[in-house]
Amino acid sequence: MIRLMTTVLCAIIFMMSAQAQFYKGKADASSISFFSKSPLEDIDAVNKKVTVVLRTTTNDIQFAVPMIGFKFQKSLMEEHFNENYVESSKFPTSTFKGKITETIDYSKDGEYKVTVKGTLELHGVTKDIEASGTLTIKGAEIMVSSAFKIKVADYNIKVPSLYVQNIAEIVDVKVNATLEPFAKK
Amino acid sequence: MIRRLLYYLAIFLPFSVLAQDDLLTLVKEEPKNDPPRSVYATFKTTKIVNSQTIETVKKRNLDFRVTHRFGNLYNSTSANALNEAAHNAFGLDNATDIRLSFDYGITDKLTIGIGRSKYREMNDASVKWRFLTQRENNTIPVSVCIYGNMGYTSMSTNNLYAGTVRPKTNEAHRIQYASQLLIARKFNSWFSLQIMPTYIHRNFIKQQLNTNNGKEDMNDLFSLGIGGRIKLSKRFAVVADYFYNFSQFQHNNPSGYYNPLGVGIEIETGGHVFHINYTNGAAILESSLLTSTQDSWTKGQIKLGFNISRWFTL
Repeated sequence: MIRLMTTVLCAIIFMMSAQAQFYKGKADASSISFFSKSPLEDIDAVNKKVTVVLRTTTNDIQFAVPMIGFKFQKSLMEEHFNENYVESSKFPTSTFKGKITETIDYSKDGEYKVTVKGTLELHGVTKDIEASGTLTIKGAEIMVSSAFKIKVADYNIKVPSLYVQNIAEIVDVKVNATLEPFAKK
Repeated sequence: MIRRLLYYLAIFLPFSVLAQDDLLTLVKEEPKNDPPRSVYATFKTTKIVNSQTIETVKKRNLDFRVTHRFGNLYNSTSANALNEAAHNAFGLDNATDIRLSFDYGITDKLTIGIGRSKYREMNDASVKWRFLTQRENNTIPVSVCIYGNMGYTSMSTNNLYAGTVRPKTNEAHRIQYASQLLIARKFNSWFSLQIMPTYIHRNFIKQQLNTNNGKEDMNDLFSLGIGGRIKLSKRFAVVADYFYNFSQFQHNNPSGYYNPLGVGIEIETGGHVFHINYTNGAAILESSLLTSTQDSWTKGQIKLGFNISRWFTL
Protein backbone atom coordinates (compact mmCIF):
# COMPACT_ATOMS: atom_id res chain seq x y z
CA MET A 1 0.00 0.00 0.00
CA ILE A 2 2.68 2.39 1.08
CA ARG A 3 4.77 1.46 -1.91
CA LEU A 4 1.82 2.27 -4.15
CA MET A 5 1.31 5.60 -2.43
CA THR A 6 4.96 6.41 -2.85
CA THR A 7 4.84 5.63 -6.51
CA VAL A 8 1.74 7.73 -7.02
CA LEU A 9 3.21 10.61 -5.07
CA CYS A 10 6.41 10.43 -7.03
CA ALA A 11 4.44 10.38 -10.26
CA ILE A 12 2.42 13.41 -9.15
CA ILE A 13 5.54 15.30 -8.13
CA PHE A 14 7.26 14.55 -11.41
CA MET A 15 4.17 15.59 -13.32
CA MET A 16 4.04 18.73 -11.30
CA SER A 17 7.66 19.45 -11.96
CA ALA A 18 7.01 18.98 -15.65
CA GLN A 19 4.17 21.47 -15.38
CA ALA A 20 5.69 23.68 -12.68
CA GLN A 21 6.60 26.15 -15.24
CA PHE A 22 8.56 29.27 -14.75
CA TYR A 23 8.17 31.93 -17.32
CA LYS A 24 10.45 34.89 -17.77
CA GLY A 25 10.38 37.96 -19.95
CA LYS A 26 11.78 37.45 -23.42
CA ALA A 27 14.85 39.54 -24.10
CA ASP A 28 13.88 43.08 -25.18
CA ALA A 29 10.20 42.16 -25.39
CA SER A 30 9.08 43.74 -22.12
CA SER A 31 8.64 47.36 -21.30
CA ILE A 32 7.34 49.61 -18.58
CA SER A 33 6.42 53.14 -19.46
CA PHE A 34 4.97 56.03 -17.57
CA PHE A 35 3.21 59.14 -18.63
CA SER A 36 2.69 62.32 -16.70
CA LYS A 37 0.25 64.84 -18.10
CA SER A 38 0.19 68.31 -16.63
CA PRO A 39 -0.86 71.78 -17.75
CA LEU A 40 2.67 72.78 -18.75
CA GLU A 41 4.41 69.63 -19.81
CA ASP A 42 3.84 66.06 -20.90
CA ILE A 43 6.49 63.69 -19.70
CA ASP A 44 6.86 60.13 -20.88
CA ALA A 45 9.56 57.57 -20.44
CA VAL A 46 10.07 53.96 -21.46
CA ASN A 47 12.11 51.29 -19.79
CA LYS A 48 13.02 48.17 -21.72
CA LYS A 49 15.40 46.72 -19.15
CA VAL A 50 12.65 44.94 -17.28
CA THR A 51 12.98 41.53 -15.63
CA VAL A 52 9.75 39.54 -15.26
CA VAL A 53 9.19 36.13 -13.75
CA LEU A 54 5.89 34.24 -13.62
CA ARG A 55 5.32 30.98 -11.77
CA THR A 56 2.22 29.38 -13.20
CA THR A 57 1.76 26.90 -10.35
CA THR A 58 1.26 29.63 -7.76
CA ASN A 59 0.22 32.55 -10.00
CA ASP A 60 3.17 34.52 -8.65
CA ILE A 61 4.35 37.35 -10.85
CA GLN A 62 7.32 39.55 -10.11
CA PHE A 63 9.00 42.49 -11.84
CA ALA A 64 12.35 44.16 -11.33
CA VAL A 65 12.97 47.51 -12.99
CA PRO A 66 16.31 49.31 -12.93
CA MET A 67 15.37 52.98 -12.51
CA ILE A 68 18.26 54.19 -14.64
CA GLY A 69 16.78 52.28 -17.55
CA PHE A 70 13.99 54.82 -18.09
CA LYS A 71 14.64 56.68 -21.31
CA PHE A 72 13.16 60.12 -21.79
CA GLN A 73 12.87 62.22 -24.90
CA LYS A 74 14.79 65.03 -23.22
CA SER A 75 18.06 64.05 -21.63
CA LEU A 76 17.79 66.85 -19.07
CA MET A 77 14.53 65.30 -17.84
CA GLU A 78 16.26 61.96 -17.57
CA GLU A 79 19.01 63.46 -15.45
CA HIS A 80 16.52 65.23 -13.20
CA PHE A 81 14.42 62.08 -12.90
CA ASN A 82 17.42 60.10 -11.66
CA GLU A 83 19.05 62.84 -9.61
CA ASN A 84 16.16 64.70 -8.02
CA TYR A 85 13.08 62.53 -8.06
CA VAL A 86 13.68 58.79 -7.85
CA GLU A 87 17.29 59.10 -6.63
CA SER A 88 18.54 56.18 -8.69
CA SER A 89 21.91 55.99 -6.98
CA LYS A 90 20.20 55.40 -3.62
CA PHE A 91 17.30 53.29 -4.86
CA PRO A 92 18.52 51.62 -8.04
CA THR A 93 15.67 49.13 -8.59
CA SER A 94 11.95 49.15 -8.25
CA THR A 95 10.29 45.76 -7.72
CA PHE A 96 6.77 44.45 -7.86
CA LYS A 97 5.87 41.17 -6.19
CA GLY A 98 2.33 39.98 -6.62
CA LYS A 99 -0.13 37.28 -7.44
CA ILE A 100 -2.71 36.88 -10.16
CA THR A 101 -5.97 36.45 -8.29
CA GLU A 102 -7.83 34.45 -10.97
CA THR A 103 -7.25 30.78 -11.66
CA ILE A 104 -5.95 30.32 -15.14
CA ASP A 105 -5.49 27.21 -17.20
CA TYR A 106 -2.04 27.88 -18.59
CA SER A 107 -2.24 24.90 -20.92
CA LYS A 108 -5.01 26.50 -22.99
CA ASP A 109 -4.62 29.33 -25.44
CA GLY A 110 -6.79 32.33 -24.79
CA GLU A 111 -7.18 35.80 -23.40
CA TYR A 112 -7.94 36.30 -19.74
CA LYS A 113 -8.94 39.41 -17.82
CA VAL A 114 -6.84 39.32 -14.69
CA THR A 115 -6.31 41.24 -11.50
CA VAL A 116 -2.93 41.35 -9.86
CA LYS A 117 -2.46 42.11 -6.20
CA GLY A 118 0.87 42.73 -4.61
CA THR A 119 3.44 45.14 -3.31
CA LEU A 120 5.37 47.74 -5.23
CA GLU A 121 8.67 48.98 -3.96
CA LEU A 122 9.71 52.31 -5.42
CA HIS A 123 12.05 55.00 -4.11
CA GLY A 124 12.54 52.98 -0.91
CA VAL A 125 8.80 52.88 -0.14
CA THR A 126 6.78 49.66 -0.30
CA LYS A 127 3.05 49.90 -0.89
CA ASP A 128 0.24 47.48 -1.65
CA ILE A 129 -1.20 47.92 -5.09
CA GLU A 130 -3.77 46.27 -7.28
CA ALA A 131 -3.87 46.41 -11.04
CA SER A 132 -6.05 44.91 -13.70
CA GLY A 133 -4.87 43.77 -17.06
CA THR A 134 -4.98 41.02 -19.61
CA LEU A 135 -3.06 37.82 -19.90
CA THR A 136 -2.88 36.18 -23.30
CA ILE A 137 -1.65 32.66 -23.79
CA LYS A 138 -0.51 31.79 -27.26
CA GLY A 139 1.37 28.54 -27.65
CA ALA A 140 4.43 28.60 -25.46
CA GLU A 141 4.29 32.35 -24.93
CA ILE A 142 2.34 34.41 -22.43
CA MET A 143 1.64 38.09 -23.02
CA VAL A 144 0.85 40.30 -20.05
CA SER A 145 -0.35 43.85 -20.21
CA SER A 146 -1.63 46.21 -17.58
CA ALA A 147 -2.18 49.86 -16.91
CA PHE A 148 -2.44 51.44 -13.51
CA LYS A 149 -1.89 54.72 -11.70
CA ILE A 150 0.70 55.70 -9.15
CA LYS A 151 0.43 58.65 -6.82
CA VAL A 152 3.90 60.18 -6.79
CA ALA A 153 3.55 61.46 -3.24
CA ASP A 154 2.80 57.92 -1.95
CA TYR A 155 6.36 56.96 -2.72
CA ASN A 156 7.91 59.93 -1.01
CA ILE A 157 8.88 61.54 -4.32
CA LYS A 158 8.75 65.25 -3.72
CA VAL A 159 7.92 67.70 -6.45
CA PRO A 160 9.07 71.24 -5.64
CA SER A 161 6.20 73.72 -5.61
CA LEU A 162 7.77 75.51 -8.58
CA TYR A 163 7.24 72.38 -10.69
CA VAL A 164 3.77 71.39 -9.57
CA GLN A 165 2.56 72.72 -12.91
CA ASN A 166 5.01 70.54 -14.82
CA ILE A 167 4.69 67.18 -13.09
CA ALA A 168 1.41 65.36 -12.56
CA GLU A 169 0.46 64.18 -9.07
CA ILE A 170 -0.74 60.90 -10.47
CA VAL A 171 1.29 59.13 -13.11
CA ASP A 172 -0.04 56.55 -15.56
CA VAL A 173 2.03 53.40 -15.76
CA LYS A 174 1.79 50.86 -18.56
CA VAL A 175 3.27 47.39 -18.45
CA ASN A 176 3.74 45.12 -21.43
CA ALA A 177 5.59 41.86 -21.25
CA THR A 178 6.04 38.78 -23.37
CA LEU A 179 7.11 35.76 -21.41
CA GLU A 180 8.58 32.45 -22.45
CA PRO A 181 9.14 29.30 -20.42
CA PHE A 182 12.52 28.72 -18.93
CA ALA A 183 14.05 25.86 -17.03
CA LYS A 184 15.58 26.57 -13.69
CA LYS A 185 19.27 25.83 -13.82
CA MET B 1 8.97 3.90 8.54
CA ILE B 2 11.67 6.41 9.31
CA ARG B 3 13.51 5.33 6.19
CA ARG B 4 10.38 6.03 4.21
CA LEU B 5 10.04 9.44 5.76
CA LEU B 6 13.59 10.23 4.80
CA TYR B 7 12.80 8.95 1.35
CA TYR B 8 9.89 11.41 1.06
CA LEU B 9 11.99 14.17 2.44
CA ALA B 10 14.69 13.49 -0.10
CA ILE B 11 12.11 13.82 -2.83
CA PHE B 12 10.44 16.92 -1.44
CA LEU B 13 13.51 18.91 -0.44
CA PRO B 14 14.60 19.99 -3.90
CA PHE B 15 11.07 21.24 -4.56
CA SER B 16 10.89 23.22 -1.38
CA VAL B 17 13.92 25.13 -2.64
CA LEU B 18 11.85 26.10 -5.64
CA ALA B 19 9.15 27.51 -3.43
CA GLN B 20 11.19 30.57 -2.61
CA ASP B 21 9.45 33.90 -2.58
CA ASP B 22 11.89 35.86 -4.60
CA LEU B 23 11.44 34.51 -8.08
CA LEU B 24 13.58 37.28 -9.48
CA THR B 25 16.72 35.67 -8.13
CA LEU B 26 16.06 32.84 -10.57
CA VAL B 27 16.97 35.02 -13.51
CA LYS B 28 19.43 37.36 -11.82
CA GLU B 29 22.64 35.68 -12.87
CA GLU B 30 22.02 36.04 -16.56
CA PRO B 31 25.00 37.55 -18.28
CA LYS B 32 24.40 41.15 -19.26
CA ASN B 33 26.22 42.47 -22.28
CA ASP B 34 24.86 45.99 -22.06
CA PRO B 35 27.44 48.67 -22.79
CA PRO B 36 28.78 50.21 -19.56
CA ARG B 37 26.68 53.12 -18.40
CA SER B 38 27.90 56.70 -18.55
CA VAL B 39 28.20 58.58 -15.31
CA TYR B 40 25.79 61.49 -15.27
CA ALA B 41 25.59 64.72 -13.26
CA THR B 42 29.25 65.00 -12.33
CA PHE B 43 28.41 68.65 -11.82
CA LYS B 44 25.03 70.29 -11.85
CA THR B 45 25.87 73.03 -14.28
CA THR B 46 28.52 74.18 -16.73
CA LYS B 47 30.43 76.26 -14.17
CA ILE B 48 31.84 75.65 -10.69
CA VAL B 49 32.54 79.21 -9.50
CA ASN B 50 35.07 80.73 -11.86
CA SER B 51 35.87 77.67 -13.89
CA GLN B 52 34.08 75.62 -16.48
CA THR B 53 32.99 72.08 -15.69
CA ILE B 54 32.92 68.99 -17.87
CA GLU B 55 29.15 69.36 -18.09
CA THR B 56 27.88 70.37 -21.48
CA VAL B 57 24.49 71.71 -22.46
CA LYS B 58 22.21 68.88 -23.51
CA LYS B 59 21.27 68.51 -27.15
CA ARG B 60 18.99 71.25 -28.45
CA ASN B 61 18.94 73.04 -25.13
CA LEU B 62 19.89 76.63 -24.61
CA ASP B 63 21.54 77.68 -21.39
CA PHE B 64 21.10 81.34 -20.61
CA ARG B 65 23.44 82.50 -17.87
CA VAL B 66 23.76 85.67 -15.89
CA THR B 67 27.02 85.88 -14.01
CA HIS B 68 27.62 88.77 -11.71
CA ARG B 69 30.50 89.89 -9.50
CA PHE B 70 29.88 92.73 -7.08
CA GLY B 71 32.64 94.95 -5.68
CA ASN B 72 35.12 94.16 -2.94
CA LEU B 73 33.58 93.29 0.40
CA TYR B 74 36.33 95.10 2.24
CA ASN B 75 39.74 96.45 1.41
CA SER B 76 42.18 96.32 4.30
CA THR B 77 44.83 98.22 2.32
CA SER B 78 42.66 101.33 2.31
CA ALA B 79 43.32 103.89 5.06
CA ASN B 80 39.67 104.16 6.00
CA ALA B 81 38.65 100.64 5.10
CA LEU B 82 35.52 100.16 7.18
CA ASN B 83 34.07 103.55 6.32
CA GLU B 84 34.73 102.95 2.66
CA ALA B 85 33.20 99.47 2.75
CA ALA B 86 30.10 100.78 4.50
CA HIS B 87 29.69 103.55 1.93
CA ASN B 88 29.51 101.12 -0.95
CA ALA B 89 27.36 98.64 1.01
CA PHE B 90 30.23 96.14 1.32
CA GLY B 91 30.71 96.00 -2.40
CA LEU B 92 27.05 95.70 -3.37
CA ASP B 93 27.03 99.12 -5.00
CA ASN B 94 29.70 98.12 -7.48
CA ALA B 95 29.77 95.61 -10.27
CA THR B 96 33.27 94.47 -11.13
CA ASP B 97 32.03 92.24 -13.88
CA ILE B 98 28.75 91.16 -15.40
CA ARG B 99 28.51 88.48 -18.03
CA LEU B 100 25.51 87.45 -20.06
CA SER B 101 25.90 84.33 -22.12
CA PHE B 102 24.05 81.85 -24.25
CA ASP B 103 25.28 78.31 -24.68
CA TYR B 104 23.66 75.86 -27.04
CA GLY B 105 24.00 72.09 -27.16
CA ILE B 106 24.56 70.88 -30.71
CA THR B 107 24.83 67.35 -29.37
CA ASP B 108 24.86 66.08 -25.81
CA LYS B 109 28.64 66.40 -25.90
CA LEU B 110 29.28 69.49 -27.99
CA THR B 111 28.35 72.98 -26.84
CA ILE B 112 28.90 76.33 -28.50
CA GLY B 113 28.37 79.66 -26.83
CA ILE B 114 28.57 83.40 -27.03
CA GLY B 115 28.87 85.91 -24.24
CA ARG B 116 29.43 89.48 -23.32
CA SER B 117 31.37 90.66 -20.28
CA LYS B 118 31.61 94.08 -18.79
CA TYR B 119 35.23 93.61 -17.72
CA ARG B 120 37.40 95.01 -20.54
CA GLU B 121 34.32 94.97 -22.78
CA MET B 122 34.86 91.41 -23.87
CA ASN B 123 32.72 89.67 -26.46
CA ASP B 124 33.45 86.00 -26.61
CA ALA B 125 32.70 82.81 -28.44
CA SER B 126 33.38 79.39 -26.99
CA VAL B 127 33.35 75.69 -27.82
CA LYS B 128 33.30 72.83 -25.38
CA TRP B 129 33.57 69.22 -26.46
CA ARG B 130 33.42 66.27 -24.12
CA PHE B 131 35.31 63.53 -25.87
CA LEU B 132 35.51 61.11 -22.97
CA THR B 133 32.72 60.29 -20.53
CA GLN B 134 33.32 58.47 -17.29
CA ARG B 135 31.76 54.99 -17.18
CA GLU B 136 30.15 53.41 -14.16
CA ASN B 137 32.37 50.34 -14.39
CA ASN B 138 35.47 52.55 -14.58
CA THR B 139 36.54 51.37 -18.04
CA ILE B 140 36.84 55.13 -18.51
CA PRO B 141 37.66 56.54 -15.05
CA VAL B 142 37.27 60.24 -15.88
CA SER B 143 35.33 62.56 -18.13
CA VAL B 144 37.44 64.84 -20.27
CA CYS B 145 36.49 68.02 -22.12
CA ILE B 146 38.37 70.41 -24.26
CA TYR B 147 37.22 73.97 -23.88
CA GLY B 148 38.22 76.93 -25.98
CA ASN B 149 37.22 80.54 -25.63
CA MET B 150 38.10 83.48 -27.82
CA GLY B 151 37.47 86.97 -26.50
CA TYR B 152 37.35 90.13 -28.55
CA THR B 153 37.34 93.44 -26.78
CA SER B 154 35.30 96.22 -28.28
CA MET B 155 36.85 98.94 -26.12
CA SER B 156 37.90 102.19 -27.74
CA THR B 157 41.29 102.31 -29.39
CA ASN B 158 42.41 104.92 -26.87
CA ASN B 159 41.55 102.68 -23.97
CA LEU B 160 43.03 99.61 -25.57
CA TYR B 161 46.42 101.27 -26.01
CA ALA B 162 46.28 103.49 -22.92
CA GLY B 163 49.60 103.69 -21.12
CA THR B 164 51.61 102.34 -24.02
CA VAL B 165 53.65 103.83 -26.80
CA ARG B 166 50.85 103.32 -29.25
CA PRO B 167 51.77 100.68 -31.82
CA LYS B 168 50.28 100.38 -35.28
CA THR B 169 46.61 99.65 -34.67
CA ASN B 170 45.71 96.05 -35.35
CA GLU B 171 42.39 94.27 -34.87
CA ALA B 172 44.26 91.18 -33.68
CA HIS B 173 45.41 93.15 -30.64
CA ARG B 174 41.89 92.95 -29.31
CA ILE B 175 41.79 89.19 -29.14
CA GLN B 176 42.66 86.86 -26.26
CA TYR B 177 42.27 83.10 -25.98
CA ALA B 178 41.79 80.53 -23.27
CA SER B 179 42.17 76.80 -23.88
CA GLN B 180 41.51 74.27 -21.19
CA LEU B 181 41.52 70.57 -20.70
CA LEU B 182 38.88 69.70 -18.11
CA ILE B 183 39.38 66.36 -16.41
CA ALA B 184 36.77 65.37 -13.87
CA ARG B 185 35.78 62.36 -11.87
CA LYS B 186 32.58 61.76 -9.99
CA PHE B 187 33.81 59.68 -7.07
CA ASN B 188 30.36 58.99 -5.68
CA SER B 189 26.92 60.53 -5.65
CA TRP B 190 28.06 63.46 -3.50
CA PHE B 191 31.68 64.17 -4.42
CA SER B 192 33.14 65.29 -7.76
CA LEU B 193 36.61 66.65 -8.44
CA GLN B 194 38.07 68.30 -11.50
CA ILE B 195 41.51 69.45 -12.60
CA MET B 196 42.03 71.98 -15.34
CA PRO B 197 45.30 72.55 -17.13
CA THR B 198 44.85 75.94 -18.76
CA TYR B 199 46.68 77.90 -21.41
CA ILE B 200 45.97 81.53 -22.03
CA HIS B 201 47.23 83.67 -24.84
CA ARG B 202 46.71 87.38 -25.19
CA ASN B 203 47.68 88.85 -28.55
CA PHE B 204 48.52 92.21 -27.07
CA ILE B 205 49.81 93.07 -23.62
CA LYS B 206 51.23 96.21 -22.13
CA GLN B 207 54.88 96.01 -21.25
CA GLN B 208 55.04 95.55 -17.48
CA LEU B 209 57.91 94.63 -15.22
CA ASN B 210 57.92 92.82 -11.90
CA THR B 211 60.51 94.98 -10.16
CA ASN B 212 61.10 92.32 -7.51
CA ASN B 213 62.47 89.70 -9.88
CA GLY B 214 62.91 91.56 -13.17
CA LYS B 215 60.40 89.36 -15.04
CA GLU B 216 58.14 90.86 -17.68
CA ASP B 217 54.52 90.04 -18.28
CA MET B 218 54.13 87.50 -21.06
CA ASN B 219 51.57 86.92 -23.78
CA ASP B 220 51.26 83.29 -22.73
CA LEU B 221 50.18 82.06 -19.34
CA PHE B 222 49.92 78.53 -18.04
CA SER B 223 47.71 77.77 -15.12
CA LEU B 224 46.49 74.69 -13.31
CA GLY B 225 43.04 74.74 -11.81
CA ILE B 226 41.35 72.45 -9.35
CA GLY B 227 37.69 72.49 -8.46
CA GLY B 228 35.09 70.34 -6.84
CA ARG B 229 31.59 69.89 -5.60
CA ILE B 230 30.26 68.36 -2.43
CA LYS B 231 26.56 67.62 -2.64
CA LEU B 232 24.84 67.99 0.70
CA SER B 233 21.30 67.23 -0.42
CA LYS B 234 19.39 66.56 -3.60
CA ARG B 235 19.32 70.24 -4.47
CA PHE B 236 22.07 71.81 -2.44
CA ALA B 237 25.83 71.63 -2.84
CA VAL B 238 29.04 73.42 -1.86
CA VAL B 239 31.40 74.27 -4.71
CA ALA B 240 34.93 75.68 -4.87
CA ASP B 241 37.70 76.19 -7.39
CA TYR B 242 41.24 77.49 -7.43
CA PHE B 243 43.79 78.31 -10.13
CA TYR B 244 47.55 78.28 -9.69
CA ASN B 245 49.23 80.52 -12.27
CA PHE B 246 52.68 79.53 -13.51
CA SER B 247 53.80 83.10 -14.01
CA GLN B 248 57.01 84.52 -12.68
CA PHE B 249 55.73 87.96 -13.49
CA GLN B 250 52.75 87.47 -11.19
CA HIS B 251 54.57 85.83 -8.29
CA ASN B 252 55.87 88.19 -5.67
CA ASN B 253 54.83 91.17 -7.75
CA PRO B 254 54.88 94.48 -5.84
CA SER B 255 51.64 95.53 -7.54
CA GLY B 256 50.06 92.33 -6.23
CA TYR B 257 48.84 89.43 -8.35
CA TYR B 258 46.98 86.55 -6.78
CA ASN B 259 45.63 83.17 -7.71
CA PRO B 260 41.84 83.23 -7.95
CA LEU B 261 39.91 81.23 -5.40
CA GLY B 262 36.16 80.92 -5.51
CA VAL B 263 33.89 79.35 -2.91
CA GLY B 264 30.16 79.10 -3.22
CA ILE B 265 26.92 77.28 -2.70
CA GLU B 266 24.78 75.78 -5.42
CA ILE B 267 21.00 75.55 -5.31
CA GLU B 268 19.12 73.63 -7.93
CA THR B 269 15.41 74.04 -8.55
CA GLY B 270 14.82 72.00 -11.68
CA GLY B 271 15.41 74.19 -14.68
CA HIS B 272 17.36 76.84 -12.74
CA VAL B 273 20.66 76.57 -10.99
CA PHE B 274 21.70 79.37 -8.65
CA HIS B 275 25.19 79.94 -7.40
CA ILE B 276 26.02 82.35 -4.63
CA ASN B 277 29.72 82.68 -4.14
CA TYR B 278 32.70 84.68 -3.01
CA THR B 279 35.82 85.09 -5.11
CA ASN B 280 38.86 87.36 -5.23
CA GLY B 281 38.83 87.29 -9.02
CA ALA B 282 37.44 90.41 -10.63
CA ALA B 283 36.73 89.11 -14.09
CA ILE B 284 34.56 86.21 -15.18
CA LEU B 285 36.02 85.22 -18.54
CA GLU B 286 38.95 82.83 -17.98
CA SER B 287 41.42 84.76 -20.10
CA SER B 288 40.74 87.94 -18.09
CA LEU B 289 40.37 86.26 -14.71
CA LEU B 290 43.72 84.51 -14.66
CA THR B 291 45.70 87.45 -16.01
CA SER B 292 44.23 90.22 -13.91
CA THR B 293 43.38 89.01 -10.41
CA GLN B 294 44.91 91.69 -8.22
CA ASP B 295 42.72 91.24 -5.17
CA SER B 296 43.45 89.01 -2.23
CA TRP B 297 41.28 87.00 0.16
CA THR B 298 43.59 87.89 3.05
CA LYS B 299 42.95 91.60 2.50
CA GLY B 300 39.20 91.14 2.45
CA GLN B 301 39.11 91.94 -1.25
CA ILE B 302 36.51 89.37 -2.08
CA LYS B 303 33.42 89.88 -4.12
CA LEU B 304 29.99 88.48 -3.65
CA GLY B 305 28.87 86.91 -6.87
CA PHE B 306 26.11 84.90 -8.36
CA ASN B 307 25.64 82.70 -11.35
CA ILE B 308 22.14 82.01 -12.56
CA SER B 309 21.53 79.43 -15.19
CA ARG B 310 18.24 78.82 -16.92
CA TRP B 311 17.81 76.04 -19.46
CA PHE B 312 15.41 76.25 -22.34
CA THR B 313 14.52 73.31 -24.50
CA LEU B 314 14.31 74.41 -28.10
